Amino acid sequence: MVLGVKATHWLFAYLAAVVAVTLLHEPWLLAALLAVAFIASGLSRLKILRRAVLAILTFNLTLSLGYAMVAAWQGNFSAHYLLLVNLRVLLLAYLGFWFVSRVNLIEACRFSPTLSFVVTLAAGQIEAFSRALRDFRLAFVSRNAAAPPLSARARHAAAQAGHLLDKSVCMAAETALAMRSRGCFDDYSNLPPPVCGRGAGREGSPVWRPRRPDTATAYKKP
Amino acid sequence: MHIPDGFLSPQTYLPAYAAAGLAWAWAARGLRRTLDEETVPRLAAMTALAYGLGLVMVPIPGGTSGHALGVAMLALLFGVRLAFLAYSLVLALQSLLFGAGGITALAVNALAMGLCGSLAALLTYRLLRRMNETAAVAIAAWCSVLLPGLLVALALGAQPSIAHREDGTPLFFPFGFAITLPAVVIPHLFIGAGEAVLTVLVWRFARARKWCSA
Repeated sequence: MVLGVKATHWLFAYLAAVVAVTLLHEPWLLAALLAVAFIASGLSRLKILRRAVLAILTFNLTLSLGYAMVAAWQGNFSAHYLLLVNLRVLLLAYLGFWFVSRVNLIEACRFSPTLSFVVTLAAGQIEAFSRALRDFRLAFVSRNAAAPPLSARARHAAAQAGHLLDKSVCMAAETALAMRSRGCFDDYSNLPPPVCGRGAGREGSPVWRPRRPDTATAYKKP
Repeated sequence: MHIPDGFLSPQTYLPAYAAAGLAWAWAARGLRRTLDEETVPRLAAMTALAYGLGLVMVPIPGGTSGHALGVAMLALLFGVRLAFLAYSLVLALQSLLFGAGGITALAVNALAMGLCGSLAALLTYRLLRRMNETAAVAIAAWCSVLLPGLLVALALGAQPSIAHREDGTPLFFPFGFAITLPAVVIPHLFIGAGEAVLTVLVWRFARARKWCSA
């Protein structure tokens, strides 16, 4: 977290900055803001700039070249537009990467305990899925000396998707069991706030608490 | 298919956020009502699944490949609400963590791919399943790619007329419908075919395990 300011406040400041940037249409102003952000982002500025440039490079290069060709052909080419759009996209990407490099995204979602919980679980599972898919891809490449036919590639894609599906359904069941065993689904709504531990007596405590179960859809026997 | 940050005008993305906000509230409410205490872990797992499916390469005739969208698969297996929420979360994570898509384009991307894509898939499937289930799944998956592609092309193509200077110079995306429609829709005709094959294969696998809700 930056300067002791709550991560949620940084999230809203970032969102406000994004909207403000899209309301500006002067390249010099966007360049000045980019320079300010570059200076303010500290020692990691070059790393953030590199990430931002790499993230936008392909699309912006294609679009800029396409625009230059079409506009030159139609006789209404504007260097001002090219500068404006590239600076705006770079500034937005820079702000985004600066935000995530300084602020813990999960902390920033604390305004909604459910959202925070989902993001925490999903981020962990995304890592596991990415690793599994990388392994699948490497295994497929190592098994095929020549370019594989379309049917083999389709079967490989289906095997990957089927594995992910299988894993995600198992993960959902496992996580639900783990949460239940740790008391996450216990209904505390009629109890006073906790008096000890992290976040004691504070609104939005770290323990995720569901709504009081509805009588019609209450606890199902496993 | 994602629209990147900085190419949509505030006149487009702010109303889109309002519409997406209503849709997210609808999906979250319905989800809480229909599912029990497994909602949160299930939503997290589906978010990770939607992300993972986006990494699977769909083979396209001619030796190339594109990324799967996976939204038809999610919608057919787990319903529109879960598919929409999971897909929206994935788009948010992708835009914040990897710079793919973007915060300004999030609402349009989520509405086009997450909501309209999954609705198109489910409605097409329900309409056609009596004739031939496999064909219904394939056409549903194809529609779930093509319709979002069309909507994204329309959103981008409208930008020069929505936001421009007095001399007509665009302020955001520079190309009109004449360029965006063929440039986005034509490749998605083929990507949709790859997605259809993938969805049918996974659908059979899921049916064997009795996971289908559609």
